[in-house]
Amino acid sequence: MNDKQTDYEPPEGYRGELLERLVKDKIRTWAEIRITKGEAKYEGILLPRSLNTDDRYVTLKVDTGYNLGVFVDDDTKIEEIGYKKGKYKLPSVDAEFKEDLPNVTLLGTGGTVASRLDYRTGAVIPAFTPEELFSAVPELIPLVNLTPKTLYQILSENFQPQFWVKTAESIAKEIESGADGVIIGHGTDTMAFTGSALSYFLRNLPIPVVIVGSQRSSDRPSSDGPKNILYSARLAGYENFAEVVVCMHGGTSDSYNLIHRATRVRKMHSSRRDAFRTIGDIPLGKVDEKEITWFRDDIKPRGPREDFYLDAKIDDKVGMLYFYPGMKPDLLESMVDLGYHGVVIIGTGLAHVGTDMYTALERCQEEEIPVVMTVEPLFGYTHLRVYETGREMLARGVIEGANMLPSAAYAKLIWALGHTRDINEVKKIIQTPVAGEITPKEGPRGYLLMQGIERGIDEFLKHL
Amino acid sequence: MIDPDSLTDDDFRKLGFHAGLEVHHQLQSRRKLFCNCEPVLEEDPHNFDYSFHRYFRPVLGEMGDFDEGMLIEYEKGYKVIYYANERNTCTYEMDETPPFMPDMETITKGFILAFYFDCKAFAEEVVVNRKQYLDGSITTGFQRTFIIARDGYVPLQNGKKVRISNLHVEEDAARRVNWFDTSERTVYYNLDRLGVPLAEIITDHLDVDTPSELIETALQIGRVLRISKIGRRGIGAVRQDVNISITGGDRVELKGVQDIHMFDKYCRREVVRQHSLIEIQKEMLERGLKKEDFEHTYIDISHLFALPPKKKVFATIFPKMKGLFGKEIQPGKDFGIDIFEKSMLITGIPTDYHFHSDEFDENSVRKRNNNYSRIPINEELYQKIQTLLNTKDSDAFVVVQGSEKACMHALKKIIERVKLALDGVPQETRRVTPDGNSEFLRVIHGKDRIYPDTDTPPILIDLEKLEEWKKEVGIKPWELLEELSKRYNFTQNQVDLLIRDDKLELFSEFTDELELDGALAYTLLIEKPREFRRKHMPLTNEVIKRCARLLSKGIIHREQLNTVLEFLQENPDSTEETIKEHFSTQYNEKELEDLIKKELENLSFEDVNNKNMAFQLVLPNLVARIIGKTNNCVSGGKIAKMIENFLEVK
Repeated sequence: MNDKQTDYEPPEGYRGELLERLVKDKIRTWAEIRITKGEAKYEGILLPRSLNTDDRYVTLKVDTGYNLGVFVDDDTKIEEIGYKKGKYKLPSVDAEFKEDLPNVTLLGTGGTVASRLDYRTGAVIPAFTPEELFSAVPELIPLVNLTPKTLYQILSENFQPQFWVKTAESIAKEIESGADGVIIGHGTDTMAFTGSALSYFLRNLPIPVVIVGSQRSSDRPSSDGPKNILYSARLAGYENFAEVVVCMHGGTSDSYNLIHRATRVRKMHSSRRDAFRTIGDIPLGKVDEKEITWFRDDIKPRGPREDFYLDAKIDDKVGMLYFYPGMKPDLLESMVDLGYHGVVIIGTGLAHVGTDMYTALERCQEEEIPVVMTVEPLFGYTHLRVYETGREMLARGVIEGANMLPSAAYAKLIWALGHTRDINEVKKIIQTPVAGEITPKEGPRGYLLMQGIERGIDEFLKHL
Repeated sequence: MIDPDSLTDDDFRKLGFHAGLEVHHQLQSRRKLFCNCEPVLEEDPHNFDYSFHRYFRPVLGEMGDFDEGMLIEYEKGYKVIYYANERNTCTYEMDETPPFMPDMETITKGFILAFYFDCKAFAEEVVVNRKQYLDGSITTGFQRTFIIARDGYVPLQNGKKVRISNLHVEEDAARRVNWFDTSERTVYYNLDRLGVPLAEIITDHLDVDTPSELIETALQIGRVLRISKIGRRGIGAVRQDVNISITGGDRVELKGVQDIHMFDKYCRREVVRQHSLIEIQKEMLERGLKKEDFEHTYIDISHLFALPPKKKVFATIFPKMKGLFGKEIQPGKDFGIDIFEKSMLITGIPTDYHFHSDEFDENSVRKRNNNYSRIPINEELYQKIQTLLNTKDSDAFVVVQGSEKACMHALKKIIERVKLALDGVPQETRRVTPDGNSEFLRVIHGKDRIYPDTDTPPILIDLEKLEEWKKEVGIKPWELLEELSKRYNFTQNQVDLLIRDDKLELFSEFTDELELDGALAYTLLIEKPREFRRKHMPLTNEVIKRCARLLSKGIIHREQLNTVLEFLQENPDSTEETIKEHFSTQYNEKELEDLIKKELENLSFEDVNNKNMAFQLVLPNLVARIIGKTNNCVSGGKIAKMIENFLEVK
């Protein structure tokens, strides 16, 4: 028993009557406790309780390292029998600056590529020190001089357009201070949005900007994060290209990563490692243990730093609607009422909306609010001249987004409106390709979705 | 080295032998524990519809450090190739989707099982934990596992209660395939078994102090899994890890033992190993050795050999160690090889490409077992190496051949292991080999590799549910033995067969409702099916039940069993009437004699010519045939006597 209980803190995460009771007996989290209930005896360390769980139970870590919960009622006896608070310590890793290695900055925004979860609360905790990164992925040490910096510690669904700006500003700073490449650690859910925005913001980008994340968090031994970050470091440090790309697993095996142009990439699976696919085109390249293979010849090479400038003016009063059968114009109208400056609509097929929506489109036209159309099928272009509906829509002023992905269109409209509210200017910006978000054509490889019944697929599956 | 086969129970106690079990028993279930795949295995684990590969690395524990065992696992540098089939795997086994909610039916079974073992402390809120494994056997790199209950026991015949410290339910690991060469750096698994629910039953390591008690403990646990019908049956459904220690030694875990009959051998050989390691420790201390005496200096002696490209040979000196590497620690295996098995597993250099200086001794273990190193060191080279290393008479040295990186790695591991020898027996998880010995598999995993699973919320267990489940607990195997031995004088073996053949319900139906006596019910349920199986006429439960009813009604009697069973097998549509006709004719003494005479006349002359021959060959058949035709309740003995009399007369 520890006598010094002057600095007593109530056990974390406990609530209600149980908390009162623990406080009364001055029982602390991380204390060794004994619980007696009739014949049953439990001994272990009292752990903080996670949020959103039943408040009548305590969580114990028993001698074997396992956790379990015990229901506490009036007949349950709880006593503290010892106390030792664990200290979180980091392994020391010696990663000194080496003159001959490229300098790469890793900007952390959260997500799971180089962060760890707090098992107690399920929250992402700062785990972004060089020590941690290097002890988790020691292969980075001889590869590049990597400087990790933390921008945010947020889940990617909590990203805001102004965070894109701050990220871009940070990249600009790195470019100015001579970084050979920048890696952005990012939660995977909205990676494509950030990537698109950065593609527009970073003008005459002189160095590679590689966005990377992990589909299996880095607290798991099977995490795809280490390979993703290693490959990204190679790209950022050594390769001759200067675009914003996403570098994630290409298949379920830890065999190769694909390099996607950020404006053309989309997360196509909720959980697989190889969720990221280039849509409407082939990826830029492929990286594996041995080599980096580039598949295209329109990749922008590294350029002079002097030409670089940041153009991150935005107007984030932009919304996005996903058209569905039966959609009423009121949604779009209320966006006008709410003062939105622009709207992206994901339309059916060639980018249509139902005739019910016409009144709302007219309203947007009247108020000079740009409405940018993209296609629900994701693959292919908007074509509003083919059917009557499309022509009617064009007559009501909608802007065709060509084969821009919804994420690319959304970020682009925000960027365009940051520069002008003039609807014609906006239209011009939207329809002028800036960073591969619109491609002049789509070839036969642009659309390859396999259905699992193709000839030779069985052989293919044997070597994923 | 002590002769392992000479050890008596008394010796085990004197040596301070203790052993515990971790029984992993697959559970009957309709789905896997964390996904909806059917828990069926491939007949040939080499079959696959798809395949992929992964690498694993250790992750920081809750306290920000790496588990020591995990680092060693990572050093092995495995590339893991998975084989998988679509019918029994999904993206969960591929580690491409988070877990689905755990199978409540299986969790329920876990609790019922805990009641069989009289567990006192239950997990009233089940928390799913992750237990790291980097050997590739689990695609996530951790096993999802949770405590169901603690503090139970199984009784032994000598009155001892072996405590069950923990009962877990967890997902089974993938099945390793192509396991022939532990020096290989690529490992293969089939994913069919991954996720099949398992119960892990852990006994207190201090409670067992002879191998026979250990065996009995394992058998008792197995009986519970069978009698409760909670355990899955079939090959590979149960695997045991055995923890063994002796005084002065340490806990060593022998992994994945399937055959209980091998326990005795494994215990003996592990005791001998630990005893020998303690002797080596004493000897090292006597020679004044300290850990600092072993330096990480690796000398390149490649120039002495004609080597394949990219191969090197390195040597290291071990001061004052002469004679110790060559000391036999398990039958046919010396201390050197024991160490080399570890460095092989970690670095991939086969034991064949390791050499230690005691190998050259006249009567060395390696020589005796024709298990030479393949590094071609002859007398002359030996001298040269000694000169190069500047060894003294009392020194030993070790030589390894492989890539430069692997050589350094191997020597590093060997030196580290030799340093550990000063502490005696290292805590290790070891793999048993077919000869009964064991080899290093990994250092014992610490509790640092266990942490909560953030993917699955805790599951509250309703206390009323607990009470309900308690009621589902049937008779326990030890209670059953007590009852049946009291009532029918049954042995454990007989009771085991009733449990194993799943005939307990029928047995009590036959004895309680049909009022057959226990021995008869046993014959009908256990012996007859075996007899008929040997005759390639497997009996169905239906036939056995009909037969039991006929016996119970007195329509047939026990001497007629074989013929009646045959008849029922062949005439499934027969009615009670036809059976009566066939089997219920009453004969008087005269008629019986006539019947016997007629049967004898049917035999050929040669058959009866030699009386002894006739007796041995035809009598049992004849008796059965005659009995089959009568319902006089005459005994076989009496009929035999009558036949004998006839033969005398003839």
